[in-house]
Amino acid sequence: MQVTFPHIGNAYIGIKSTLESLGTDVVVPPGCTRRTLTLATRYSPEGICLPFKLNLGNMIEAIELGADTIVNITGHGTCRMGYYHKVQEQILRDMGFDFQMELTGLSEHKLTGFFKMLKKISNNASWTQIISAFHFGLAKVTALDDIEIIANRMRAIEKEKGTITLLYREGTKAIDEAGDYRSLKNVVKDYRRRLKGIKILSGVSPLKVLVAGEIYVVLDTYANMDVELEMGKLGVVTERSLYLSRWAKRGLFYNPLGIDQYRKVHKAAMPYLKRDIGGDGWETIGEKVLGTGHYDGMVHLAPFTCMPEETAQNIMSSTKEDLPVLAIYCDEQTSKAGMLTRLEAFVDMLRMKRNRNGSRLLEE
Amino acid sequence: MGKNIYLGIDVGSVTTKCAVMGEDMELIAHHYIPTSGKPIAQIQKLIREISKEILPDLNIAGVGTTGSARYLAGEIVGADIIKNEITAHAIAATHYFPDVRTIIEIGGQDSKIIIIRNGVVADFGMNTVCAAGTGSFLDHQALRLGIRIEEFAGEAIKSKDPVRIAGRCTVFAESDMIHKQQMGHSTPDILYGLCQALVRNYINNVGLGKRIEAPIIFQGGVAYNKAIIRAFEEELGQEIMVPHHHEVMGAIGAAIIAWENHETTGARTRFKGFSISDICYETSTFTCNGCPNQCEIAQLKQGGQILARWGGRCEKWENVSHVMDKCENTGVLS
Repeated sequence: MQVTFPHIGNAYIGIKSTLESLGTDVVVPPGCTRRTLTLATRYSPEGICLPFKLNLGNMIEAIELGADTIVNITGHGTCRMGYYHKVQEQILRDMGFDFQMELTGLSEHKLTGFFKMLKKISNNASWTQIISAFHFGLAKVTALDDIEIIANRMRAIEKEKGTITLLYREGTKAIDEAGDYRSLKNVVKDYRRRLKGIKILSGVSPLKVLVAGEIYVVLDTYANMDVELEMGKLGVVTERSLYLSRWAKRGLFYNPLGIDQYRKVHKAAMPYLKRDIGGDGWETIGEKVLGTGHYDGMVHLAPFTCMPEETAQNIMSSTKEDLPVLAIYCDEQTSKAGMLTRLEAFVDMLRMKRNRNGSRLLEE
Repeated sequence: MGKNIYLGIDVGSVTTKCAVMGEDMELIAHHYIPTSGKPIAQIQKLIREISKEILPDLNIAGVGTTGSARYLAGEIVGADIIKNEITAHAIAATHYFPDVRTIIEIGGQDSKIIIIRNGVVADFGMNTVCAAGTGSFLDHQALRLGIRIEEFAGEAIKSKDPVRIAGRCTVFAESDMIHKQQMGHSTPDILYGLCQALVRNYINNVGLGKRIEAPIIFQGGVAYNKAIIRAFEEELGQEIMVPHHHEVMGAIGAAIIAWENHETTGARTRFKGFSISDICYETSTFTCNGCPNQCEIAQLKQGGQILARWGGRCEKWENVSHVMDKCENTGVLS
């Protein structure tokens, strides 16, 4: 059995680690590239969102590399995403591929369903093995988020442009290669120290921007055209509304235990929207409300044609909390030019707001 | 050494503009020419024109570039500062109209709204996924009706009973227009209907959720069109002001930004001099085969030396100081 799964950001490092420690043969799909996108758009329904398309592209490329089992997610109560696995399966079958699709539910099966799925694809590994493999995978995802948070903070103030990005890539690779808890711990410690120890610009207080929106495009740097990297280059610190490790822990542990970690966010969104509308739309509104005062601005990422995020965007334009929001729609375009113009203008705007008295454009 | 002057260059998709501002922020010279898909040649042409006009005792102390080819332009002329067109337009508008609250800017390929409060940008919007309602669309439709774009406004303003045209998509608009034209509606009525459709599209798309408050300034090439101005005034019920040099406001903004930059940093300009108009620049593109992403890399060369590269997802090609003519040597060029 050759198991594969679609990409979302760098989650593959954790998933691969979990599956490999269970002795499963894993085919990691090649990272998203223009080829993935070309394949994906050729076989996807035209009006569907980018996450669907890219994931389908991942599956096609993984099957080409010999994968015969696809792990996919499903879930009710989210958005159209609940149907995606079925449509993707049908498209792949119509293309003449022979494979098996294993599903794990986000909202109904939770942790037990996830573990049962792991048992099935791991040739009946013991529950202890499964739990420990999963735990290690999650530790890797947590480690990745850990260094990414630091990278996105430090990139804005690095003296030599590009240092952080290079270090961060190295760190990601080292986490991927770490074989046990001990080496993982050392890698994280090492890179935390190195990322924080770079030469920085003195006397600057960078703008701080919240990056929020639909989970896939927030987490996936291919889909969002490296929006956080580009903001960092413009001297802006970015923080995300969601990180995969926290999101996974919430969905798999806290929610089943009845702990609603998003209560605060939902409560904040209440004056404007009283219920979940699917996807992350409700949370996006709450994040804007809570982020006002803490951040200089917010970048709202949404896949084009994403109903929950479009709804959120329209509501957000009239909230009394006046955090400036820049909406970026992620779709098939591969040129960054349009996004960069908007980002640069947004950053100028935030800077002007801050430096009312000094020069209008230049920092300090 | 004579008085300091500041040069602003705005290279848009359809037109290339430049403006020269004096120390007291007065406009000394300006030019407006089509880009014609050849930004480099047109930038050189502008520089040549400008060099003839300004007195030799004037000293270029700063250069700013803006527009969609701002990085290319910046590389060619040696810009001190490169700014996006939204900021450039806002800076220019607030310079001439300190109490402006809304800027409408419609250019060849994009349209923007900039909301100004207390002299600084408070919000902005740009057309996102559709080019309906830009100058190119008007150009195209005028051409189809056999009218020169210069005559467009004069004809449209004669309209007595404008036809309703769907404005939310160029495809819908065009099929609506053809249908009404075949039904026998007069050209002025169709043209003015088109102006109204453009304005509706602008307000519902670019202006979505924005508070359009007076004073309203209309700038960009499309502000030449009196019929569009009238349609805006009718739709908004407000007076629309058009700056005298509306078509070069982006370039004026870039010049002001260059001045501001010079005042703050005091740095010597990186301007390469007027001789750049005689240099032969070459641009070429190649596909990087370093990974399956196959980025399309564009490069700017001057006599075999690479000045800049753009378009990669990673930094492999961007940092030109480290690479010699690597693409030819390694055969990556394809």
